[in-house]
Amino acid sequence: MAKSLMIVDDSATMRKIIMRTVRMSGLEFDRTEEAGNGNEALEKLGGGPVDIMLCDINMPEMSGTELVKEVRKLDSCADMRIIMVSTESSQELIDGVVADGANGYITKPFTPEKFQEKLTPFMN
Amino acid sequence: MVDDICISDVLLAGAKEVFETMIFMDLEEASEPDRKIEDDAMLGSITFKIDFEGNMQGCLTICCSTPCAKTIATNMLGMEPDEEISEAEIRDALGEVTNMVMGSVKTRVQDEVGNLQVSIPTVVSGRDLEYSLGDGASKISVIVSLGDEYIADISWLCREAHKLNRKREDKQA
Ligand SMILES: [Mg+2]
Repeated sequence: MAKSLMIVDDSATMRKIIMRTVRMSGLEFDRTEEAGNGNEALEKLGGGPVDIMLCDINMPEMSGTELVKEVRKLDSCADMRIIMVSTESSQELIDGVVADGANGYITKPFTPEKFQEKLTPFMN
Repeated sequence: MVDDICISDVLLAGAKEVFETMIFMDLEEASEPDRKIEDDAMLGSITFKIDFEGNMQGCLTICCSTPCAKTIATNMLGMEPDEEISEAEIRDALGEVTNMVMGSVKTRVQDEVGNLQVSIPTVVSGRDLEYSLGDGASKISVIVSLGDEYIADISWLCREAHKLNRKREDKQA
């Protein structure tokens, strides 16, 4: 089934690297979008949800943790899978964001294998 | 609390993980002869900094020459060495490298010092850094070689919050 992906990260470099790593992991998406912070992501999601969102945590304007809470308020995004991609790795923070509605967590630095492992369960 | 020797090991291990998995460059602690050329290599250098606070307060910095920063950025983005890259892209890439090294270090010291809150990475000049924490701060630096060509300085400048509090109590007494 065709899948769509959104990468939310304040660093344009990191968005490119994530995109490249996703490609290297062998996963295929037919539509990919990018956003530089939570507000931009919400605006784009207003036009329609994506299947999977990869979301940074430390971002100006609206952080990833706030974005997860906002996204989960939207009926249109109820089935969307959200995987956090962050340098933050404290268990407390991970538990908190999962409780708020995130479906997975990948820490930076990462490998293509990591993306394959965490995203494959959501590809069908 | 975390001692000096431990921090330099942690800086090295954290940086090695980031450089080897995301930048595809070998990172080793620099040998003595390499350290001697360090001053030359750092000419025209740039410093990337991330502040942290919590039970420890301070910053982590990565300082390297401009050509070194460019190589790190192009490697990270999977570009050809001679491909054009803008100053802004180099800064953004190195900011993320600093961010990931900080994250990697943070994970390693988490059990001893608890969670540290970190800032968004910035570019600074060397001098700003020296006086940013004032007296009583300690600085631990690791000089590393990157690939066969470059030298970089990874430093940890900090004061422990409990020491800060004690100082305040001494003053009040
Ligand atoms: Mg970020």
